[in-house]
Amino acid sequence: MKRARVLLKGKESHNDVELDVTVNDQGDLVTAEGTVISESEVTWLSPIKNPGTIFALGLNYADHAAELAFEPPKEPLVFLKGANTLTGHKQNSYRPDNIEFQHYECELVAVIGKEGKNISREDAMDYIAGYTVCNDFAIRDYLENYYRPNLRVKSRDSLCPIGPWLIDKEDVGDISDLRLTTHVNGELTQEGTTKDIIFDVPFLVEYLSKIMTLKPGDMIATGTPKGLKDMQPGDTVVCEIEKVGALTTYIVSEQEFYGDKY
Amino acid sequence: MSTNPIVTGKLVCVALNDQQQLDKLDATFNEAPYKAAPTQPVLYFKPHNTWNTDGATIAWNEEGLVVGASLTVVFGKECCRTSAEEALSYVEGYTLTHDFSLPEKSYYRPDIKGKCQDGTAPVGAVVVPASDVADPQALTVVTQVNGETVSELPVSQLHRGVAELISIISNIMTLQPGDAIAVGFPGDRHPVKQGDKVTSSIAGVTELTNQVEA
Repeated sequence: MKRARVLLKGKESHNDVELDVTVNDQGDLVTAEGTVISESEVTWLSPIKNPGTIFALGLNYADHAAELAFEPPKEPLVFLKGANTLTGHKQNSYRPDNIEFQHYECELVAVIGKEGKNISREDAMDYIAGYTVCNDFAIRDYLENYYRPNLRVKSRDSLCPIGPWLIDKEDVGDISDLRLTTHVNGELTQEGTTKDIIFDVPFLVEYLSKIMTLKPGDMIATGTPKGLKDMQPGDTVVCEIEKVGALTTYIVSEQEFYGDKY
Repeated sequence: MSTNPIVTGKLVCVALNDQQQLDKLDATFNEAPYKAAPTQPVLYFKPHNTWNTDGATIAWNEEGLVVGASLTVVFGKECCRTSAEEALSYVEGYTLTHDFSLPEKSYYRPDIKGKCQDGTAPVGAVVVPASDVADPQALTVVTQVNGETVSELPVSQLHRGVAELISIISNIMTLQPGDAIAVGFPGDRHPVKQGDKVTSSIAGVTELTNQVEA
């Protein structure tokens, strides 16, 4: 089952309603009551209703680590992101003013479905509800060697689109060799497979739950393969993972994104 | 683990903001892996599994625990891209955070293991309305362990003050009601032992007490 959250637009903004829907094989959105809604009537939201801790992995694909001239890490490089970074499918993400290099990162996200501490890697998959796709944008200009990658790089508003939906783990099955691609304006710019992941989902669940209790709504973004490219306002980025979904994001300027708050 | 009624969104902590600590580490910052002093506030999250309350017992960790206390700003309305001049108008009130963590060894990589142990971020006891605090820069955070004073950190000793931090952070991430910023901890975190009682206070504002599991 693909589970999504959408905002159904009313006549005026205070009439908007958030809906939990499922997405059927034809791509239709179906409400709990069985009503079919057209995609054109809704705004996609993050599929995780109550986002918990967002864990993300740095340098977790051997080819990407080499691309950035880093040795593959011996221990997972984990950082946290704020929920302010999340936005849905087909939404805007912004490019900050006066920077040189902003790149996408197509990532498989495992979403926790059950609370647990000290989970063994053998039992880890029992604690996963399902998967989604995120685009964990980075602004390389803002990197500093303190808690790197620092929050200024990785915790900005709208810079972690996620979705379109959460798909049940049973519907995906084996995640150890899923193809990932990113297309910018229709051109293939990033390609890889989850086969190249250094620390896999069961390992990460064991590693993190040894440190802390994992709870439903926590998410683990598992890192990105090689293929970095700068983004500009006007670009359309599609991050796709085989069997999981394709996430579309529109890049806009900082001024356009913030509007009156700019 | 108990939920905390004060923080419901993000708890952003500012590391390396004690001017005395920055002065002391100045030479270290020019060496690997840092190579240069930080040009921006050094921030980390205490995620939701860490949130805790006044009076809570803190689980012991065999790798040792250190504690620091910070004045904490709580937001009551959305704060997006504010200037330092207007920053304090977004503050609902002030409280305290105890950051219990494993000893700080390096600031190079995010310290998930050190900072994210369950229940290690008590916040409280109460939120004092911003209208009752004329100038947050004039406050001093005093921490006692078993009744003995181990640190006194005047907010004025912070490298970046409350208003400047709110402005910088709100230009990175929109702050929402229920979000909080712990603006700065004493550079030397204090080691604690099993059974230690830690009380931090800001005179006339609030007090926060926690005991390490015996």
